[in-house]
Amino acid sequence: MANMGEIVICRCEEVTYGQLQATAEEHKCTARELKLRTRAGMGFCGGRTCRPSLDRILESVIPNIAPGEIPLKYQPPIRPVTFGTVGENQ
Amino acid sequence: MSDVIVIGGGPAGLAGAIACASSGLNVTIVDEFIKPGGRLLGQLHQEPSGEWWNGIKESERLHQEARKLSVDIRCGVSVYNLEKENHLWNVYTNSGTLTAPFVLVATGAAEYPIPLPGWTLPGVMSIGAAQVMTNVHRVQVGKKGIIIGANILAFAILNELQLAGITVDRIVLPERNQISQKAGEPEEVMKSLLNAAHLAPSPLLRFGSRFMRRDWIRKIGLNFYPKNGVKVNGTPLQLRKAAIEIIGKDHVEGVRIADIDANGTIIAGSETIYEADFVCIAGGLYPLAELTAVAGCPFQYIPELGGHVPHHSETMETPLEGLFVAGNITGIESGKIAMAQGTTAGLSIAKHVGKGAGTIDEQLQQAVKNVRTVRQHAAIQFNPEINSGRSKMNQLWDDLYANNNREDSPKKIV
Ligand SMILES: Cc1cc2nc3c(=O)[nH]c(=O)nc-3n(C[C@H](O)[C@H](O)[C@H](O)COP(=O)(O)OP(=O)(O)OC[C@H]3O[C@@H](n4cnc5c(N)ncnc54)[C@H](O)[C@@H]3O)c2cc1C
Ligand code: FES
Repeated sequence: MANMGEIVICRCEEVTYGQLQATAEEHKCTARELKLRTRAGMGFCGGRTCRPSLDRILESVIPNIAPGEIPLKYQPPIRPVTFGTVGENQ
Repeated sequence: MSDVIVIGGGPAGLAGAIACASSGLNVTIVDEFIKPGGRLLGQLHQEPSGEWWNGIKESERLHQEARKLSVDIRCGVSVYNLEKENHLWNVYTNSGTLTAPFVLVATGAAEYPIPLPGWTLPGVMSIGAAQVMTNVHRVQVGKKGIIIGANILAFAILNELQLAGITVDRIVLPERNQISQKAGEPEEVMKSLLNAAHLAPSPLLRFGSRFMRRDWIRKIGLNFYPKNGVKVNGTPLQLRKAAIEIIGKDHVEGVRIADIDANGTIIAGSETIYEADFVCIAGGLYPLAELTAVAGCPFQYIPELGGHVPHHSETMETPLEGLFVAGNITGIESGKIAMAQGTTAGLSIAKHVGKGAGTIDEQLQQAVKNVRTVRQHAAIQFNPEINSGRSKMNQLWDDLYANNNREDSPKKIV
Protein backbone atom coordinates (compact mmCIF):
# COMPACT_ATOMS: atom_id res chain seq x y z
CA MET A 1 0.00 0.00 0.00
CA ALA A 2 1.17 3.51 -0.67
CA ASN A 3 2.77 5.54 2.03
CA MET A 4 0.41 8.53 2.32
CA GLY A 5 3.03 10.64 4.06
CA GLU A 6 5.25 10.87 1.03
CA ILE A 7 2.61 11.92 -1.46
CA VAL A 8 3.23 15.40 -2.79
CA ILE A 9 0.09 17.49 -2.25
CA CYS A 10 1.26 20.94 -3.33
CA ARG A 11 3.21 20.36 -6.52
CA CYS A 12 4.43 23.92 -6.96
CA GLU A 13 6.01 24.11 -3.54
CA GLU A 14 6.65 20.35 -3.17
CA VAL A 15 4.87 19.96 0.15
CA THR A 16 3.94 16.42 1.17
CA TYR A 17 0.92 15.07 2.98
CA GLY A 18 3.22 14.06 5.84
CA GLN A 19 4.58 17.60 6.25
CA LEU A 20 1.08 19.06 6.26
CA GLN A 21 -0.22 16.59 8.81
CA ALA A 22 2.81 17.01 11.07
CA THR A 23 2.64 20.82 10.92
CA ALA A 24 -1.08 20.86 11.58
CA GLU A 25 -0.68 18.55 14.53
CA GLU A 26 2.29 20.30 16.06
CA HIS A 27 0.92 23.84 15.84
CA LYS A 28 -2.82 23.14 15.88
CA CYS A 29 -2.98 25.81 13.19
CA THR A 30 -5.63 27.62 11.25
CA ALA A 31 -5.87 27.21 7.49
CA ARG A 32 -3.92 30.39 6.91
CA GLU A 33 -1.21 29.47 9.36
CA LEU A 34 -0.80 26.04 7.81
CA LYS A 35 -0.36 27.71 4.45
CA LEU A 36 2.19 30.21 5.71
CA ARG A 37 4.18 27.60 7.63
CA THR A 38 4.43 25.11 4.77
CA ARG A 39 3.92 27.38 1.72
CA ALA A 40 1.34 24.86 0.45
CA GLY A 41 -1.02 26.75 -1.85
CA MET A 42 1.40 29.64 -2.32
CA GLY A 43 3.07 28.41 -5.51
CA PHE A 44 2.98 29.49 -9.12
CA CYS A 45 -0.48 28.07 -9.85
CA GLY A 46 -1.97 30.04 -6.97
CA GLY A 47 -3.33 26.88 -5.42
CA ARG A 48 -5.51 25.92 -8.35
CA THR A 49 -4.05 22.40 -8.23
CA CYS A 50 -3.67 21.71 -4.52
CA ARG A 51 -6.45 23.78 -2.95
CA PRO A 52 -9.14 21.05 -3.02
CA SER A 53 -6.73 18.58 -1.39
CA LEU A 54 -5.67 21.16 1.19
CA ASP A 55 -9.34 21.83 1.96
CA ARG A 56 -9.90 18.15 2.64
CA ILE A 57 -6.87 17.92 4.87
CA LEU A 58 -8.00 21.05 6.71
CA GLU A 59 -11.47 19.62 7.24
CA SER A 60 -9.96 16.89 9.37
CA VAL A 61 -7.73 19.27 11.31
CA ILE A 62 -10.30 22.01 11.84
CA PRO A 63 -13.68 20.42 12.50
CA ASN A 64 -17.02 22.13 11.82
CA ILE A 65 -16.11 24.50 9.02
CA ALA A 66 -19.37 26.30 8.21
CA PRO A 67 -20.79 25.63 4.73
CA GLY A 68 -20.66 29.36 4.01
CA GLU A 69 -16.94 29.51 4.61
CA ILE A 70 -14.07 28.75 2.28
CA PRO A 71 -11.52 26.91 4.41
CA LEU A 72 -8.49 28.55 2.81
CA LYS A 73 -9.22 32.20 1.94
CA TYR A 74 -8.43 33.55 -1.51
CA GLN A 75 -5.99 36.43 -1.76
CA PRO A 76 -5.14 38.61 -4.72
CA PRO A 77 -3.22 38.30 -6.93
CA ILE A 78 -4.90 35.04 -8.01
CA ARG A 79 -2.55 34.74 -10.98
CA PRO A 80 1.22 35.12 -11.02
CA VAL A 81 2.13 38.71 -11.88
CA THR A 82 5.35 40.67 -11.82
CA PHE A 83 5.92 43.35 -9.22
CA GLY A 84 6.05 45.73 -12.16
CA THR A 85 2.51 44.92 -13.21
CA VAL A 86 1.12 45.34 -9.74
CA GLY A 87 3.12 48.50 -9.24
CA GLU A 88 1.91 50.13 -12.43
CA ASN A 89 -1.65 49.70 -11.33
CA GLN A 90 -1.23 51.56 -8.12
CA MET B 1 -14.88 52.85 -20.84
CA SER B 2 -17.00 49.78 -21.55
CA ASP B 3 -20.39 49.34 -19.93
CA VAL B 4 -19.64 45.71 -19.21
CA ILE B 5 -16.45 43.68 -18.75
CA VAL B 6 -16.86 39.95 -19.20
CA ILE B 7 -14.15 37.84 -17.56
CA GLY B 8 -13.88 34.52 -19.40
CA GLY B 9 -14.69 33.92 -23.06
CA GLY B 10 -16.19 30.44 -22.78
CA PRO B 11 -19.78 29.65 -23.78
CA ALA B 12 -21.17 31.55 -20.77
CA GLY B 13 -19.04 34.65 -21.28
CA LEU B 14 -19.56 34.78 -25.05
CA ALA B 15 -23.33 34.31 -24.77
CA GLY B 16 -23.44 36.92 -22.00
CA ALA B 17 -21.49 39.40 -24.11
CA ILE B 18 -23.76 38.78 -27.09
CA ALA B 19 -26.89 39.40 -25.02
CA CYS B 20 -25.43 42.62 -23.58
CA ALA B 21 -24.22 43.91 -26.94
CA SER B 22 -27.55 43.05 -28.59
CA SER B 23 -29.18 45.31 -26.03
CA GLY B 24 -26.91 48.14 -27.09
CA LEU B 25 -24.20 47.91 -24.44
CA ASN B 26 -20.50 48.36 -24.96
CA VAL B 27 -18.77 45.11 -24.04
CA THR B 28 -15.18 43.95 -23.50
CA ILE B 29 -14.27 40.28 -23.00
CA VAL B 30 -10.96 39.27 -21.44
CA ASP B 31 -9.74 35.69 -21.49
CA GLU B 32 -6.37 34.29 -20.52
CA PHE B 33 -6.32 31.59 -23.20
CA ILE B 34 -4.95 32.20 -26.71
CA LYS B 35 -8.40 32.09 -28.25
CA PRO B 36 -12.01 32.42 -27.18
CA GLY B 37 -14.28 29.41 -26.63
CA GLY B 38 -13.18 28.21 -23.20
CA ARG B 39 -13.77 24.54 -22.54
CA LEU B 40 -15.99 24.34 -25.60
CA LEU B 41 -12.82 24.12 -27.68
CA GLY B 42 -12.12 20.62 -26.43
CA GLN B 43 -15.60 19.18 -26.71
CA LEU B 44 -16.66 16.59 -29.24
CA HIS B 45 -19.40 14.14 -28.47
CA GLN B 46 -22.46 12.48 -29.87
CA GLU B 47 -25.81 13.35 -28.32
CA PRO B 48 -28.41 10.65 -27.60
CA SER B 49 -30.25 11.97 -30.68
CA GLY B 50 -27.25 10.95 -32.78
CA GLU B 51 -26.28 14.54 -33.50
CA TRP B 52 -22.66 15.57 -32.93
CA TRP B 53 -21.76 18.34 -30.52
CA ASN B 54 -18.69 19.98 -32.01
CA GLY B 55 -17.39 22.52 -29.51
CA ILE B 56 -14.92 24.12 -31.91
CA LYS B 57 -17.68 24.93 -34.42
CA GLU B 58 -19.94 26.12 -31.64
CA SER B 59 -17.32 28.49 -30.27
CA GLU B 60 -16.55 29.85 -33.74
CA ARG B 61 -20.22 30.62 -34.21
CA LEU B 62 -20.38 32.48 -30.90
CA HIS B 63 -17.13 34.29 -31.61
CA GLN B 64 -18.38 35.51 -35.01
CA GLU B 65 -21.65 36.67 -33.53
CA ALA B 66 -19.88 38.59 -30.79
CA ARG B 67 -17.57 40.24 -33.32
CA LYS B 68 -20.47 41.28 -35.50
CA LEU B 69 -21.85 43.10 -32.48
CA SER B 70 -18.48 44.86 -32.03
CA VAL B 71 -17.61 43.14 -28.79
CA ASP B 72 -13.98 43.87 -27.95
CA ILE B 73 -12.37 40.46 -27.33
CA ARG B 74 -8.93 40.40 -25.73
CA CYS B 75 -7.20 37.02 -25.45
CA GLY B 76 -4.07 36.14 -23.53
CA VAL B 77 -5.09 38.52 -20.75
CA SER B 78 -5.25 37.19 -17.17
CA VAL B 79 -7.32 38.88 -14.51
CA TYR B 80 -5.61 38.69 -11.12
CA ASN B 81 -7.84 40.86 -8.96
CA LEU B 82 -11.32 42.37 -8.91
CA GLU B 83 -12.27 45.27 -6.68
CA LYS B 84 -14.97 47.87 -6.34
CA GLU B 85 -14.07 51.53 -6.07
CA ASN B 86 -16.48 54.46 -6.23
CA HIS B 87 -19.33 52.42 -7.71
CA LEU B 88 -17.10 51.09 -10.47
CA TRP B 89 -15.39 47.73 -10.77
CA ASN B 90 -11.66 47.66 -11.29
CA VAL B 91 -10.57 44.60 -13.24
CA TYR B 92 -6.82 44.17 -12.76
CA THR B 93 -5.11 42.31 -15.58
CA ASN B 94 -1.56 41.53 -16.61
CA SER B 95 -1.97 44.18 -19.29
CA GLY B 96 -3.45 47.01 -17.34
CA THR B 97 -6.57 47.82 -15.35
CA LEU B 98 -10.02 48.00 -16.91
CA THR B 99 -12.96 49.74 -15.31
CA ALA B 100 -16.71 49.34 -15.76
CA PRO B 101 -19.94 49.60 -13.79
CA PHE B 102 -20.87 45.99 -14.63
CA VAL B 103 -18.79 42.83 -14.56
CA LEU B 104 -19.81 39.34 -15.62
CA VAL B 105 -17.53 36.66 -14.16
CA ALA B 106 -17.67 33.52 -16.31
CA THR B 107 -14.41 31.80 -15.43
CA GLY B 108 -15.68 28.23 -15.69
CA ALA B 109 -14.31 25.26 -13.80
CA ALA B 110 -11.07 23.63 -12.73
CA GLU B 111 -10.24 20.00 -12.07
CA TYR B 112 -10.05 18.23 -8.72
CA PRO B 113 -6.63 16.65 -8.29
CA ILE B 114 -6.06 13.11 -7.07
CA PRO B 115 -2.61 13.10 -5.49
CA LEU B 116 -0.86 9.72 -5.52
CA PRO B 117 2.77 8.60 -5.46
CA GLY B 118 4.41 9.34 -8.79
CA TRP B 119 1.84 11.88 -9.98
CA THR B 120 4.52 14.49 -10.58
CA LEU B 121 6.26 12.35 -13.25
CA PRO B 122 6.25 13.67 -16.82
CA GLY B 123 3.50 11.88 -18.72
CA VAL B 124 0.96 12.29 -15.92
CA MET B 125 -1.73 14.87 -16.71
CA SER B 126 -5.24 15.77 -15.78
CA ILE B 127 -7.90 14.34 -18.07
CA GLY B 128 -8.75 17.90 -19.15
CA ALA B 129 -5.16 18.50 -20.21
CA ALA B 130 -5.36 15.38 -22.38
CA GLN B 131 -8.53 16.81 -23.93
CA VAL B 132 -6.91 20.15 -24.72
CA MET B 133 -3.77 18.54 -26.14
CA THR B 134 -5.81 16.20 -28.31
CA ASN B 135 -8.61 18.44 -29.58
CA VAL B 136 -7.18 21.95 -29.35
CA HIS B 137 -3.45 21.54 -29.97
CA ARG B 138 -3.67 18.24 -31.90
CA VAL B 139 -0.77 16.70 -30.03
CA GLN B 140 -0.75 12.98 -29.30
CA VAL B 141 -0.52 12.60 -25.53
CA GLY B 142 0.96 9.10 -25.73
CA LYS B 143 0.48 5.66 -27.18
CA LYS B 144 -1.08 3.73 -24.36
CA GLY B 145 -2.58 5.29 -21.28
CA ILE B 146 -4.40 4.54 -18.07
CA ILE B 147 -7.16 6.75 -16.67
CA ILE B 148 -7.39 7.03 -12.88
CA GLY B 149 -10.89 8.03 -11.77
CA ALA B 150 -14.24 6.92 -13.20
CA ASN B 151 -16.68 9.75 -13.83
CA ILE B 152 -18.64 11.37 -16.63
CA LEU B 153 -15.80 13.64 -17.68
CA ALA B 154 -13.47 10.64 -17.94
CA PHE B 155 -15.93 8.84 -20.23
CA ALA B 156 -16.50 11.85 -22.45
CA ILE B 157 -12.77 12.39 -22.90
CA LEU B 158 -12.02 8.65 -23.20
CA ASN B 159 -14.20 8.71 -26.26
CA GLU B 160 -12.35 11.71 -27.68
CA LEU B 161 -8.96 10.05 -27.15
CA GLN B 162 -10.25 6.94 -28.91
CA LEU B 163 -11.52 9.02 -31.84
CA ALA B 164 -7.99 10.40 -32.13
CA GLY B 165 -6.60 6.89 -32.34
CA ILE B 166 -5.01 6.85 -28.88
CA THR B 167 -5.26 3.62 -26.87
CA VAL B 168 -6.58 3.81 -23.35
CA ASP B 169 -5.66 0.55 -21.69
CA ARG B 170 -8.06 0.71 -18.74
CA ILE B 171 -9.93 2.96 -16.33
CA VAL B 172 -9.29 2.25 -12.64
CA LEU B 173 -10.22 4.01 -9.40
CA PRO B 174 -7.84 5.98 -7.22
CA GLU B 175 -6.84 4.36 -3.94
CA ARG B 176 -9.40 5.30 -1.29
CA ASN B 177 -8.03 7.82 1.16
CA GLN B 178 -8.80 11.08 2.91
CA ILE B 179 -8.36 13.05 -0.30
CA SER B 180 -9.89 10.80 -2.96
CA GLN B 181 -12.81 10.00 -0.64
CA LYS B 182 -15.87 8.73 -2.58
CA ALA B 183 -13.95 8.58 -5.87
CA GLY B 184 -12.11 5.60 -4.34
CA GLU B 185 -15.22 3.68 -3.22
CA PRO B 186 -16.59 1.33 -5.91
CA GLU B 187 -20.11 1.47 -4.52
CA GLU B 188 -20.24 5.26 -4.58
CA VAL B 189 -18.73 5.39 -8.04
CA MET B 190 -21.23 2.83 -9.32
CA LYS B 191 -24.07 4.87 -7.84
CA SER B 192 -23.03 8.04 -9.63
CA LEU B 193 -22.39 6.24 -12.91
CA LEU B 194 -25.77 4.53 -12.92
CA ASN B 195 -27.44 7.89 -13.01
CA ALA B 196 -25.63 8.67 -16.21
CA ALA B 197 -26.05 5.21 -17.64
CA HIS B 198 -27.27 6.46 -20.99
CA LEU B 199 -23.77 7.80 -21.50
CA ALA B 200 -22.01 4.59 -20.71
CA PRO B 201 -22.22 2.43 -23.77
CA SER B 202 -21.89 -0.66 -21.66
CA PRO B 203 -24.67 -3.21 -21.39
CA LEU B 204 -24.02 -3.81 -17.71
CA LEU B 205 -24.44 -0.19 -16.75
CA ARG B 206 -27.35 0.46 -19.06
CA PHE B 207 -29.17 -2.71 -18.20
CA GLY B 208 -28.27 -2.41 -14.57
CA SER B 209 -29.28 1.17 -14.16
CA ARG B 210 -32.92 0.40 -13.53
CA PHE B 211 -32.71 -2.21 -10.85
CA MET B 212 -29.25 -1.55 -9.47
CA ARG B 213 -30.50 1.61 -7.85
CA ARG B 214 -31.30 -0.55 -4.84
CA ASP B 215 -28.41 -0.61 -2.40
CA TRP B 216 -28.28 -4.33 -1.77
CA ILE B 217 -28.50 -5.24 -5.42
CA ARG B 218 -25.72 -2.83 -6.15
CA LYS B 219 -23.57 -4.49 -3.54
CA ILE B 220 -24.22 -7.91 -5.02
CA GLY B 221 -23.63 -6.48 -8.47
CA LEU B 222 -20.27 -5.17 -7.36
CA ASN B 223 -19.31 -8.43 -5.73
CA PHE B 224 -19.91 -10.17 -9.02
CA TYR B 225 -18.44 -7.32 -10.98
CA PRO B 226 -16.16 -8.98 -13.54
CA LYS B 227 -12.55 -8.84 -12.43
CA ASN B 228 -11.44 -7.55 -15.77
CA GLY B 229 -14.14 -4.91 -15.77
CA VAL B 230 -16.82 -4.16 -18.29
CA LYS B 231 -15.89 -2.58 -21.56
CA VAL B 232 -16.68 1.03 -22.32
CA ASN B 233 -16.11 1.43 -26.03
CA GLY B 234 -13.52 -1.32 -25.86
CA THR B 235 -11.71 0.04 -22.79
CA PRO B 236 -12.17 -1.96 -19.59
CA LEU B 237 -13.75 -0.01 -16.75
CA GLN B 238 -12.32 -1.72 -13.67
CA LEU B 239 -14.29 -0.62 -10.63
CA ARG B 240 -12.64 -3.25 -8.45
CA LYS B 241 -9.10 -2.08 -9.07
CA ALA B 242 -7.25 0.91 -7.64
CA ALA B 243 -4.09 2.73 -8.68
CA ILE B 244 -1.51 2.62 -5.88
CA GLU B 245 1.43 4.31 -7.53
CA ILE B 246 2.56 5.67 -10.87
CA ILE B 247 5.99 4.34 -11.66
CA GLY B 248 8.79 5.38 -13.99
CA LYS B 249 12.29 6.78 -13.89
CA ASP B 250 12.17 9.97 -15.96
CA HIS B 251 8.74 9.43 -17.46
CA VAL B 252 5.65 7.33 -16.82
CA GLU B 253 6.38 3.66 -17.43
CA GLY B 254 3.41 2.05 -15.73
CA VAL B 255 0.93 2.01 -12.88
CA ARG B 256 0.93 -0.28 -9.88
CA ILE B 257 -2.63 -1.45 -9.45
CA ALA B 258 -4.29 -3.57 -6.75
CA ASP B 259 -7.65 -5.31 -6.41
CA ILE B 260 -10.11 -3.70 -4.00
CA ASP B 261 -13.33 -4.84 -2.34
CA ALA B 262 -16.70 -3.15 -2.78
CA ASN B 263 -15.75 -0.50 -0.21
CA GLY B 264 -12.41 0.28 -1.75
CA THR B 265 -10.21 -1.62 0.72
CA ILE B 266 -7.10 -3.03 -0.89
CA ILE B 267 -6.80 -6.80 -1.12
CA ALA B 268 -3.33 -7.69 0.09
CA GLY B 269 -0.98 -9.36 -2.35
CA SER B 270 -3.01 -8.47 -5.44
CA GLU B 271 -0.71 -5.82 -6.87
CA THR B 272 0.28 -5.87 -10.53
CA ILE B 273 2.13 -3.36 -12.66
CA TYR B 274 0.48 -2.40 -15.92
CA GLU B 275 2.53 -0.67 -18.58
CA ALA B 276 1.56 2.76 -19.84
CA ASP B 277 3.34 5.77 -21.29
CA PHE B 278 0.79 8.30 -20.07
CA VAL B 279 -1.65 8.58 -17.19
CA CYS B 280 -4.75 10.78 -16.98
CA ILE B 281 -6.08 11.80 -13.59
CA ALA B 282 -9.84 12.34 -13.63
CA GLY B 283 -10.90 13.85 -10.32
CA GLY B 284 -13.96 15.76 -11.55
CA LEU B 285 -14.64 19.48 -11.75
CA TYR B 286 -15.10 22.35 -9.30
CA PRO B 287 -16.32 25.93 -9.96
CA LEU B 288 -13.41 28.33 -10.49
CA ALA B 289 -14.71 31.19 -8.40
CA GLU B 290 -11.51 32.84 -7.14
CA LEU B 291 -12.32 36.28 -8.58
CA THR B 292 -15.74 36.50 -6.97
CA ALA B 293 -14.06 35.47 -3.71
CA VAL B 294 -11.48 38.27 -3.81
CA ALA B 295 -14.27 40.68 -4.81
CA GLY B 296 -15.95 39.86 -1.51
CA CYS B 297 -18.91 37.80 -2.65
CA PRO B 298 -20.40 35.44 -0.04
CA PHE B 299 -20.13 31.71 -0.77
CA GLN B 300 -21.96 28.50 -0.04
CA TYR B 301 -20.65 24.94 -0.16
CA ILE B 302 -23.08 22.92 -2.29
CA PRO B 303 -21.62 19.54 -3.25
CA GLU B 304 -24.24 18.97 -5.99
CA LEU B 305 -22.91 22.07 -7.75
CA GLY B 306 -19.31 20.90 -7.47
CA GLY B 307 -18.09 22.77 -4.38
CA HIS B 308 -18.04 26.38 -3.16
CA VAL B 309 -20.18 28.67 -5.31
CA PRO B 310 -20.80 32.43 -5.04
CA HIS B 311 -24.30 33.38 -3.90
CA HIS B 312 -26.40 34.16 -6.97
CA SER B 313 -29.99 34.46 -8.10
CA GLU B 314 -31.65 32.63 -10.97
CA THR B 315 -31.17 35.82 -12.98
CA MET B 316 -27.43 35.50 -12.34
CA GLU B 317 -26.89 38.53 -10.12
CA THR B 318 -24.70 38.32 -7.02
CA PRO B 319 -25.30 40.27 -3.80
CA LEU B 320 -22.58 42.70 -4.95
CA GLU B 321 -24.05 45.55 -6.98
CA GLY B 322 -23.00 45.31 -10.62
CA LEU B 323 -21.41 41.86 -10.29
CA PHE B 324 -22.94 38.98 -12.24
CA VAL B 325 -21.95 35.34 -12.76
CA ALA B 326 -22.75 32.66 -15.35
CA GLY B 327 -21.64 29.22 -16.43
CA ASN B 328 -19.65 26.68 -14.46
CA ILE B 329 -18.64 29.21 -11.81
CA THR B 330 -22.23 28.77 -10.55
CA GLY B 331 -22.15 24.96 -10.66
CA ILE B 332 -20.74 22.24 -12.91
CA GLU B 333 -22.91 21.59 -15.95
CA SER B 334 -22.47 21.14 -19.69
CA GLY B 335 -21.68 23.74 -22.35
CA LYS B 336 -25.22 24.32 -23.58
CA ILE B 337 -26.40 25.21 -20.09
CA ALA B 338 -23.48 27.58 -19.61
CA MET B 339 -24.55 29.32 -22.80
CA ALA B 340 -28.17 29.65 -21.66
CA GLN B 341 -26.99 31.05 -18.32
CA GLY B 342 -24.76 33.53 -20.12
CA THR B 343 -27.71 34.84 -22.11
CA THR B 344 -29.68 35.20 -18.88
CA ALA B 345 -26.84 37.13 -17.22
CA GLY B 346 -26.51 39.42 -20.25
CA LEU B 347 -30.22 40.26 -20.25
CA SER B 348 -30.12 40.73 -16.50
CA ILE B 349 -27.34 43.31 -16.89
CA ALA B 350 -29.27 45.04 -19.69
CA LYS B 351 -32.23 45.24 -17.37
CA HIS B 352 -30.16 46.81 -14.60
CA VAL B 353 -28.85 49.41 -17.02
CA GLY B 354 -32.42 50.13 -18.08
CA LYS B 355 -32.13 48.82 -21.65
CA GLY B 356 -34.69 46.82 -23.62
CA ALA B 357 -37.60 49.07 -22.78
CA GLY B 358 -40.84 47.25 -22.10
CA THR B 359 -39.84 43.79 -23.24
CA ILE B 360 -36.83 43.16 -21.03
CA ASP B 361 -38.69 41.51 -18.14
CA GLU B 362 -40.32 39.10 -20.49
CA GLN B 363 -37.04 38.34 -22.27
CA LEU B 364 -35.34 37.71 -18.96
CA GLN B 365 -38.08 35.41 -17.73
CA GLN B 366 -37.90 33.53 -21.00
CA ALA B 367 -34.14 33.15 -20.62
CA VAL B 368 -34.47 31.78 -17.08
CA LYS B 369 -37.05 29.31 -18.32
CA ASN B 370 -34.76 28.34 -21.16
CA VAL B 371 -31.96 27.45 -18.72
CA ARG B 372 -34.33 24.98 -17.03
CA THR B 373 -35.42 23.50 -20.36
CA VAL B 374 -31.85 23.05 -21.59
CA ARG B 375 -30.98 21.44 -18.26
CA GLN B 376 -33.85 18.98 -18.62
CA HIS B 377 -32.62 17.86 -22.03
CA ALA B 378 -28.89 17.89 -21.30
CA ALA B 379 -27.00 14.99 -22.82
CA ILE B 380 -24.28 15.29 -20.19
CA GLN B 381 -25.06 15.95 -16.58
CA PHE B 382 -22.04 15.97 -14.28
CA ASN B 383 -23.99 15.59 -11.05
CA PRO B 384 -27.22 13.59 -10.99
CA GLU B 385 -28.52 15.76 -8.12
CA ILE B 386 -28.04 19.01 -10.01
CA ASN B 387 -31.66 20.11 -9.61
CA SER B 388 -31.44 19.79 -5.86
CA GLY B 389 -28.22 21.82 -5.87
CA ARG B 390 -29.85 24.56 -7.93
CA SER B 391 -32.89 24.67 -5.62
CA LYS B 392 -30.63 25.02 -2.60
CA MET B 393 -29.04 28.12 -4.07
CA ASN B 394 -32.38 29.60 -5.15
CA GLN B 395 -33.77 29.00 -1.67
CA LEU B 396 -30.75 30.58 -0.07
CA TRP B 397 -31.07 33.62 -2.34
CA ASP B 398 -34.75 34.00 -1.49
CA ASP B 399 -34.05 33.72 2.21
CA LEU B 400 -31.13 36.11 2.31
CA TYR B 401 -31.74 38.71 -0.34
CA ALA B 402 -35.14 38.56 -2.00
CA ASN B 403 -37.63 38.57 0.85
CA ASN B 404 -37.44 42.30 1.21
CA ASN B 405 -39.27 44.64 -1.06
CA ARG B 406 -37.72 43.76 -4.41
CA GLU B 407 -37.19 47.27 -5.69
CA ASP B 408 -35.23 49.35 -3.20
CA SER B 409 -34.38 46.37 -1.04
CA PRO B 410 -31.44 46.71 1.33
CA LYS B 411 -30.13 43.41 0.06
CA LYS B 412 -27.30 44.84 -1.97
CA ILE B 413 -23.85 44.95 -0.53
CA VAL B 414 -22.47 48.09 -2.11
C1 LIG C 1 -11.29 19.94 -18.40
C2 LIG C 1 -12.75 20.15 -18.68
C3 LIG C 1 -13.37 19.37 -19.62
C4 LIG C 1 -14.72 19.54 -19.88
N1 LIG C 1 -15.31 18.73 -20.81
C5 LIG C 1 -16.63 18.88 -21.09
C6 LIG C 1 -17.26 18.10 -22.09
O1 LIG C 1 -16.63 17.26 -22.73
N2 LIG C 1 -18.59 18.32 -22.33
C7 LIG C 1 -19.30 19.26 -21.64
O2 LIG C 1 -20.49 19.46 -21.92
N3 LIG C 1 -18.71 19.99 -20.70
C8 LIG C 1 -17.40 19.84 -20.39
N4 LIG C 1 -16.82 20.59 -19.44
C9 LIG C 1 -17.64 21.50 -18.65
C10 LIG C 1 -17.45 22.88 -19.17
O3 LIG C 1 -16.97 23.62 -18.10
C11 LIG C 1 -18.72 23.45 -19.76
O4 LIG C 1 -19.12 22.67 -20.84
C12 LIG C 1 -18.57 24.87 -20.29
O5 LIG C 1 -17.42 25.01 -21.10
C13 LIG C 1 -18.55 25.87 -19.19
O6 LIG C 1 -18.55 27.13 -19.77
P1 LIG C 1 -18.06 28.42 -19.02
O7 LIG C 1 -18.23 29.52 -19.99
O8 LIG C 1 -18.71 28.49 -17.71
O9 LIG C 1 -16.51 28.16 -18.72
P2 LIG C 1 -15.29 27.81 -19.67
O10 LIG C 1 -15.71 27.22 -20.93
O11 LIG C 1 -14.35 27.03 -18.82
O12 LIG C 1 -14.63 29.23 -19.96
C14 LIG C 1 -14.01 29.97 -18.95
C15 LIG C 1 -12.98 30.89 -19.57
O13 LIG C 1 -12.53 31.80 -18.58
C16 LIG C 1 -11.15 32.02 -18.75
N5 LIG C 1 -10.60 32.44 -17.46
C17 LIG C 1 -10.68 31.78 -16.27
N6 LIG C 1 -10.08 32.49 -15.29
C18 LIG C 1 -9.60 33.62 -15.88
C19 LIG C 1 -8.87 34.76 -15.39
N7 LIG C 1 -8.53 34.88 -14.09
N8 LIG C 1 -8.53 35.72 -16.27
C20 LIG C 1 -8.88 35.63 -17.58
N9 LIG C 1 -9.57 34.58 -18.10
C21 LIG C 1 -9.93 33.60 -17.25
C22 LIG C 1 -10.61 30.70 -19.25
O14 LIG C 1 -9.44 30.90 -20.01
C23 LIG C 1 -11.77 30.18 -20.10
O15 LIG C 1 -11.61 30.46 -21.47
C24 LIG C 1 -15.45 20.50 -19.18
C25 LIG C 1 -14.80 21.30 -18.24
C26 LIG C 1 -13.46 21.15 -17.99
C27 LIG C 1 -12.78 22.03 -16.97
S1 FES D 1 0.07 23.06 -6.41
FE1 FES D 1 0.05 24.18 -4.60
S2 FES D 1 0.30 26.21 -5.28
FE2 FES D 1 0.37 25.09 -7.11
